Amino acid sequence: MEMIIIEVLSLLFAALRSATPVLAVVLGEIMTQRSGVINLGVEGQMLMGAMTGFAVTAITGDPWLGVVAACGAGILLSLVHVVLVLGCGANQIASGIAVMILGGGLSAYYGIPFVGEKINSFDSFGGSGIGSIPLIGRFLGATTPTVLLTLISIPVISLFLYRTRSGLHWRSVGESSEITRNLGHSPVPYQFAAIVFGGLMSGFAGAALAVDYTSNWVEHMTAGRGLVAVGLVIVARWNPWYALPAALLFGVSEALNLRLQSWGVDVSQYLLATLPYLIPLVVLMLSFRGLKAGGGGMPMGLKAVFTNS
Amino acid sequence: MNQTTTAATSPITGLKRLLNGPWTPAAIMVLAFVAASMAFFAINGREPVGLFFEMVRGGFGDGYSFSETLVKTSPILLTALAIALPARLGLISVGAEGQLYLGALFGTGTVLLAFDQPGWLLMPLMLAGAMVGGAVWGIVPALLKTRLGVNETISTLLLNYVGILMVSFVVHGPWKNPNSLGWPSTVEFPEGAILPTFFDTRVHMGLVFGIVAAMILHVLVTRSRWGLGLQVSRSNPRVGATAGISYEKNVLLVMAIGGLLAGLAGIAEASVIQNRLQDGLATGYGLTGFLVAWLSGQHFLRIIPLSILMGGLMASADSLQLYAQLPKASADILQAVLFIIVLAVGGLWRRRTMA
Amino acid sequence: MKKPLSILLASTLLATSISAMAETKVGFVYVGPKSDYGYNYAQDQGRLYLEEHLEDVETLYFENIPENADVQRVMERMIRSGVEIVFPTSYGYLDHALKVAEKYPDVHFAHSGGLKTSDNLMTYFAEIDQAMYLAGIAAGMTTETNKLGFIAAHPIPQVLRNINAFTRGARSVNPEVTTSVIWTSGWSDPSKESEAAEALIDNGADVLTGHVDSPINYVQVAEERGVYSVGYHADASKFAPEGWLVGAVWNWGPMMVDIVESVEDGTWESQHLRGDLLTGAAQLSDFGSAVSDDTIAEVEERRQMIMDEEYQVWAGPITGQDGKVIVAEGDTMTLQETEKMDFLVEGVEGRLP
Repeated sequence: MEMIIIEVLSLLFAALRSATPVLAVVLGEIMTQRSGVINLGVEGQMLMGAMTGFAVTAITGDPWLGVVAACGAGILLSLVHVVLVLGCGANQIASGIAVMILGGGLSAYYGIPFVGEKINSFDSFGGSGIGSIPLIGRFLGATTPTVLLTLISIPVISLFLYRTRSGLHWRSVGESSEITRNLGHSPVPYQFAAIVFGGLMSGFAGAALAVDYTSNWVEHMTAGRGLVAVGLVIVARWNPWYALPAALLFGVSEALNLRLQSWGVDVSQYLLATLPYLIPLVVLMLSFRGLKAGGGGMPMGLKAVFTNS
Repeated sequence: MNQTTTAATSPITGLKRLLNGPWTPAAIMVLAFVAASMAFFAINGREPVGLFFEMVRGGFGDGYSFSETLVKTSPILLTALAIALPARLGLISVGAEGQLYLGALFGTGTVLLAFDQPGWLLMPLMLAGAMVGGAVWGIVPALLKTRLGVNETISTLLLNYVGILMVSFVVHGPWKNPNSLGWPSTVEFPEGAILPTFFDTRVHMGLVFGIVAAMILHVLVTRSRWGLGLQVSRSNPRVGATAGISYEKNVLLVMAIGGLLAGLAGIAEASVIQNRLQDGLATGYGLTGFLVAWLSGQHFLRIIPLSILMGGLMASADSLQLYAQLPKASADILQAVLFIIVLAVGGLWRRRTMA
Repeated sequence: MKKPLSILLASTLLATSISAMAETKVGFVYVGPKSDYGYNYAQDQGRLYLEEHLEDVETLYFENIPENADVQRVMERMIRSGVEIVFPTSYGYLDHALKVAEKYPDVHFAHSGGLKTSDNLMTYFAEIDQAMYLAGIAAGMTTETNKLGFIAAHPIPQVLRNINAFTRGARSVNPEVTTSVIWTSGWSDPSKESEAAEALIDNGADVLTGHVDSPINYVQVAEERGVYSVGYHADASKFAPEGWLVGAVWNWGPMMVDIVESVEDGTWESQHLRGDLLTGAAQLSDFGSAVSDDTIAEVEERRQMIMDEEYQVWAGPITGQDGKVIVAEGDTMTLQETEKMDFLVEGVEGRLP
């Protein structure tokens, strides 16, 4: 019995660790989409964050500086989306893909000198006494600052979104920029802030991946996780609290893909590797009633992006 | 009298008319891209003008370069159509890459099943198989949307990865050629399953499929009742329904036709370029196709020259590595810069004309 | 030297490349980024060695060229710009290279691995599984749990050779040892590789190695979790000061110099050229501090035996996963047989698709 519990716990914590970058992107993108803007460029912003975070950590030796720089890089790249979408009125999906390709290219180009560098990453909490808690201690102890920061941002974001005046405006912009305008507010500052916040979170996610989780920089190392995160926003129904189970779902299926192999399951690795993509899809299918009735919580303004583009 | 006043104002109005003409934004885009790429070369310490011309030559400068540009064009053209048609109904599909892989998968499956058949039978069977495969990967997200309300952008995105992995599964597993010296690929296609090429180049039938399909789609969508129905359905499905146009049916139809075209792109790559099915068939074409579709404004005829331009840009990026030893990533950066310029200028221009 | 007028308009860079006609131009095609701290990096080190050691040689390269429609085009472009010797460095390029070689009979091709040649295409590779076998011995003597972990990308012959050689090496000194394999289905995905390493360690493995693009990820995870690691492709000892045992690394430079020189002096022949520990194309890196003196002595002794051809890695008996004898005692696998290897040996846990 204890064996099984440990196995399940190690799977869950493995999932949490590998899902943290995805979770951070999902949270940022929820905020972006809540303002009625979709940004597929998070994939490129993540890569810029990963490269910048890694490079700054390699140069300064301080992973915290790396994380801050990564957030800055994510924000900078998201400004391209701001200019194209808010400034020029370009199509949001196309603009997002342009940002994605730009981020991939720039990070690969300027990251070359840092390939194969060794960086000092964060220490896990294992040394701080948490590691000695029975049963779950060794798992809690293995978590790192970026995991904790990402988890903390969930209540912070939902407090802002549901309990503050600005949050109310933010959401109403996403529901209808017309009404917001009629109420005497301009939707643009909110959408600007929303895209930039998405940039911050995806840049942070890049650092969580490159500085913290893998301590490594390889070009295109996100391997589509940013894009998948945009998909997971729908699974999470634009709710920051549901972002955690949605990201964990992806994390667990990715961890399962690898762990099922180490447990000796007799299925082709290529079929197992489809799990992280099929499982979220199945969840979306299973929750169809809610989706059909209310759009699954999709902000009305976002719906307009999909129908009028 | 009158003549003199017209003569006096005509240069200005003429200039104004010229500036407001339909070619102005395109000219601005081209100039901006030329300037931006030269700036990029200069920033990275390369001589800008010569390198830019070298790049243009690499895409369009001689017969060989242009033929290779057209080789690149075929899958871009077909995948762009696979995105543009659903977009006519307001659907944002990003699934062309998965459909391309499924087309290659089903097409190859057909070849393996009908291996010993003569070419006149094998070739049509292979193409039919590819079209079915691509269509299946269009119909699945279409059904998910109409029956279960799953957003098509997300389902097509996720299914891309699944399609690519399914090809890996068969070439590493059940379809692996036992005599391939351990290399993961199917057996080589028989002569009868290799699509024809033109004039001793690698330009193949896929390009013809793409151009013909673009023309047919253009006529269908702009001239037929069905095309009009798409327009109505897109702006308001309910109005469409009262006029007897089924939105659900049209979703299935456009996604299936789109998938079918991307499927053709897949089998063409497997048949002509690789002569077999293997991993890494055509990575990234779905994305480029998506951008071309959106740059064209879902205009099927405009997709043809845009695909050639994009194919040229991708093939000409060789010059950056060959002559200037710039990393491969520089080609991605230039591609992104081009898109950003087109989106920015196009968006601003639309605003201006509306105002 | 008289320059055509058009050159004046072109960049100085172009002009120099055209005026330098006395040089032999050698072109390289890499499947990944040349700075990947792994396979492509090793090939590129060979290119740099070539430039340094042969004065009359100029090199060009294309990186990140997938094994699809792009390969033939970039090879043709190189040839059209004057390249006389082409090194296509990824296994999946072979059929494309054969097509281009047929079209340009005056150009010489040296392809990395593979078992096909033509009049102007040879193959070169190195039996790095000898080094992996030796690393397996070090792992087998060091492990306490008797479980080794192997992170592998795809089940292709080169990877299977390394898994099998590593496991056979370990079991030659410690028959209790088993190797668990996790496939990542991709050459470079740091997140997956780290996760696979964690999974293997959770499952009891205390020595990790692998065959993916770069060893950095699993070596770092092993170090963090306090277990041992064996590198592959590139020396990753700096990432694991405590747990690094040893690694198998390439040294392509001298081999590439031989090939280019043979073209220049007309002795080139279409062949399967294979380096090994003896020629130095495949090498064992330095040992880490975690390796005991006994282990080093054992490995060194076996290394000498292999180099003296007293012992061969692929000599029978070789038993498969299901316990069936694949190579009988007294038989040895030929080059052809090893390079199309499609089985896992006894002691490997993991499956082939």
